[in-house]
Amino acid sequence: MIKNYFKTAWRYIKKHKAYSLINILGLALGIASCLIIFLVVQYELGYDQFYKKSDRTYRVTLNQLDFNPSVSMGVVPALRTDFPELEDVSQVWYRKSALLEIHNEKYEEKGMMYADKYFPEIFDQHWLEGNPKTALTDPNSIVLTESIAHKYFGNKEAMGQFIKLENKYNLKITGVIKNVLGNTHLPFNMIVSFATVENDVKGMMSNFYAIADGSFAYIVTPKNYHISQMQSLMHGFIEKNWGKDIAKDAKLPLQPLTDIHFDQRYLNNTISYTTSRETYYALIAIAVLIIIIACINFINLATAQAIRRAKEVGVRKVLGSTRSQLIKQFLGETTFMVLIAMILGLLVTAFFLPLLSTWLSLKISIAQLLQSSVILVTVLVAISIIILAGLYPAFVQSAFRPIESLKSKPSLTFSGLTLRKSLVVIQFAICQVMIIGTLVVAYQIDFFENRDLGFDKEAVISFKIPDKSKTEVLRNELQNNPGVKQVSFSSGAPVISNNFTSFTSPESGIKKEDVTELKFIDEDYTKMFALKMLAGESVQRTETSDNDSVHNVVVNETMIHKLGIQDPQKAIGKYILLNGSWNATITGVVKDFQSESKHKKIRPCVLLYNKNAFFMVSARLQTSNMNQTIARIDKAWSSLFPQNVFSYEFLDDHIAAWYSQEQKEYTAFKLFALIAIIIGSMGLYGLITFAAAQRGKEVGIRKVLGASLADIVFLFSKEFVILIAIAFLIAAPLAYYIMYNWLQSFAYQINIGANIFVIAILSSFIIAAFTIGYQAIKAGIVNPINSLRSE
Amino acid sequence: MLQLKNIYKWFNTGSNRTFILKDINLDIKQGEFVSIMGPSGSGKSTLLNVMGMLDEPNEGKYIFLDQDVLHMKEKQRSEIYKSHIGFVFQAYHLIDELTVYENIETPLIYQNIKSGERKGMVADMLDRFQIVGKKDLFPNQLSGGQQQLVGIARALIVKPKLILADEPTGNLNSKQGEEIMNIFKELNGEGVTIIQVTHSEKNAEYGSRIIHLLDGRIEKES
Repeated sequence: MIKNYFKTAWRYIKKHKAYSLINILGLALGIASCLIIFLVVQYELGYDQFYKKSDRTYRVTLNQLDFNPSVSMGVVPALRTDFPELEDVSQVWYRKSALLEIHNEKYEEKGMMYADKYFPEIFDQHWLEGNPKTALTDPNSIVLTESIAHKYFGNKEAMGQFIKLENKYNLKITGVIKNVLGNTHLPFNMIVSFATVENDVKGMMSNFYAIADGSFAYIVTPKNYHISQMQSLMHGFIEKNWGKDIAKDAKLPLQPLTDIHFDQRYLNNTISYTTSRETYYALIAIAVLIIIIACINFINLATAQAIRRAKEVGVRKVLGSTRSQLIKQFLGETTFMVLIAMILGLLVTAFFLPLLSTWLSLKISIAQLLQSSVILVTVLVAISIIILAGLYPAFVQSAFRPIESLKSKPSLTFSGLTLRKSLVVIQFAICQVMIIGTLVVAYQIDFFENRDLGFDKEAVISFKIPDKSKTEVLRNELQNNPGVKQVSFSSGAPVISNNFTSFTSPESGIKKEDVTELKFIDEDYTKMFALKMLAGESVQRTETSDNDSVHNVVVNETMIHKLGIQDPQKAIGKYILLNGSWNATITGVVKDFQSESKHKKIRPCVLLYNKNAFFMVSARLQTSNMNQTIARIDKAWSSLFPQNVFSYEFLDDHIAAWYSQEQKEYTAFKLFALIAIIIGSMGLYGLITFAAAQRGKEVGIRKVLGASLADIVFLFSKEFVILIAIAFLIAAPLAYYIMYNWLQSFAYQINIGANIFVIAILSSFIIAAFTIGYQAIKAGIVNPINSLRSE
Repeated sequence: MLQLKNIYKWFNTGSNRTFILKDINLDIKQGEFVSIMGPSGSGKSTLLNVMGMLDEPNEGKYIFLDQDVLHMKEKQRSEIYKSHIGFVFQAYHLIDELTVYENIETPLIYQNIKSGERKGMVADMLDRFQIVGKKDLFPNQLSGGQQQLVGIARALIVKPKLILADEPTGNLNSKQGEEIMNIFKELNGEGVTIIQVTHSEKNAEYGSRIIHLLDGRIEKES
């Protein structure tokens, strides 16, 4: 029986190729989208969950005015003493990049961190060589990942070899581990034993607020331990170790390991981006919507063609088939098509996965398609498609009564037109919501990266000065480089290397310490970045030293607003107290500029001259021959600082990196909106083809009566124009609501303008016009003799 | 074999009631070969459909093999005609997507007969109608006469007691028609009851009994 069904199904597919192609391709694309979304969601929601103790691991973070993932290195030893019941406590000091010297060659390598010997206990890795228990015990030990070991030592044994770090430490390789999975908040390539630097950082350990960026403290609680209880003890813990004053303001929140990826309060100083779980729930919703679109195609085409199969239904019933047998047969056919679509979908996924992994910067390999969870999802998706798409048409088709369908000229009517139209409206509405969503994300990203920055980021590169005594030599060198337009020395370009300090202003009645950004800039800075002075003047070159306690400073608008001043002119001459002891006189006010991502509100900012803090160079380049210019800078820089490796960054790229998460969402939105549109259009094309065939006679008569081609095209199009309009009425408010909420997660956002909706509905019309146009015109130019020939 | 008692069938158009069958009383014995004749619209096909249980009368009683079929559930009724009745149509009504072999095999599948057994039965049928060579062809590759042969083979495969044929030769030329009628005659000789609807006097003559219908009534019998 099953064989018989499949045979008919296969022959039916072969006979109605266009119809089957639309269904199978649509379903295959839908299944592929589902699989890809599943892999992405599994990857993102699975962050850090692969560590064996992940459910009991917490990161000790700092909450003082702001949320900071880094804490003083004094916290870990104190935790060990005060909470002996903790299973593990580990100190990590993550450095984004490191200078390595291997076989007398220098390299800059990413993902280096210091970690103590307890680290492997918490973050279990697959050790290829070395002993996890001892590899990080001794000073001057380093553990490499497989790919790093391979990169520098090829197929030679890396164990026991030496690497020089930061021109300072001579490290012995004591272990090689498998590459760390991509979905961890701590993506490292090398671990240097913390004992190596312990003496160098001793000074910082005693000070609660001496926080090295990337200094993370991890704990593992015993089983059945109440973390809330430990959290409540933290206040006493701070007081005992660092005193009452600090305990008053500072908290040490214990952040669950598996929440780190999703905790967006810690936007700054994170190594890997944070995201919201909602984004992935939204992706799951998109997967469901795409499947619905594909199922609607199936239902629409099947019911539109139901009459074609009426005769077969009649015959089979007369030959003794029951209705349930027919339903089984039709479901069998659907199953057959879905199976083909499933295989095709898997192939499409496997084919595009490497490309998508790059687009969405995920580390997902094709091998992951063979996981049991992926197979389970594929099967579940297939079953739901069979039920969603197959059941209704099967019931409709099996209901035909043989007596009617077997007449030599069947006068059957099953139009199901209202249903079909409603389903088409749903498809259009889904597509429009996705178009609007994509546009909103696109506009928001453009706004992020290019609008209202408050400074000029074009063609600016930024790089380090390792040795400040050579500042003037470097400045001369750069000024003599014809490819360099402007140069400025500072603690960092507007978006790079933020320092923070506390401020009060007794004069303005601000007694409680607040936080401000602090930038050390030279006299060219404001001009070079085209910061807009609202009042007063920029900083002057002075011979200040670190010990000075009187400064002239430029502040931003947000700062004067904090001081309760609205008119920038009135701020000139006011005093603020920085870092508890520096008296600063405001000599200039600058318009607010973006120094952090637009996820956050702009903070007060103080700019002042201090050449001892000029760690960074910013150079605006001529836009022609940039590569040559950079090569020349590299040469000059490298001869000045032979101990170091030149590396630079464009401000553009730095800013774009803040929004990499939104970029990924945008890519995903674009991709899946496109897929939804393609599937929807295919269905529409199928329907219009069918309608054109069915109404051939009507078109013939109309033409004989004098209808023009335009009349005929209009005849086919007007219905769809109405359907698109109805869909728009549903989609527009829905999309507005969803995207409005999405935008609220940013401190600064665009307004959803009417233009977005105009584009959405126009694109729907254009897509529909292309889809319908061909068949409508084809029907319109057929010679009426052909369609009116009597049978 | 079957008795029809006071069978009425009508449909309403506005306030008018149009009768298709009006007070039909018929008693058909096992082994008879009955031809139903009458002009277009006289109710021949409807009567045949009622006898084949594909259609229900509005009024009356229908006894098939001593069972009152009108009071049965759909499922029981289909159980009866599945095993006792074979249908032959004017338009053949073969399933386009199935080969000759598969078309003939289909009723057996619905009777849950095992694959091995089915093979033998279909082979016998192909032999009997000398269409073994055509078994892998699709209906659209056959002539009308050949298609009707397949249609009859398909009707006979379940060894029905009754064959209902609705203008079985209507789409055929006279030579093909004659062949088909001879087959019916032969089947009737083997004890199968045959009821056919026909326009042709000549074909009606093959039957042992002719019923003339006019405007839904039995006008005369001969």
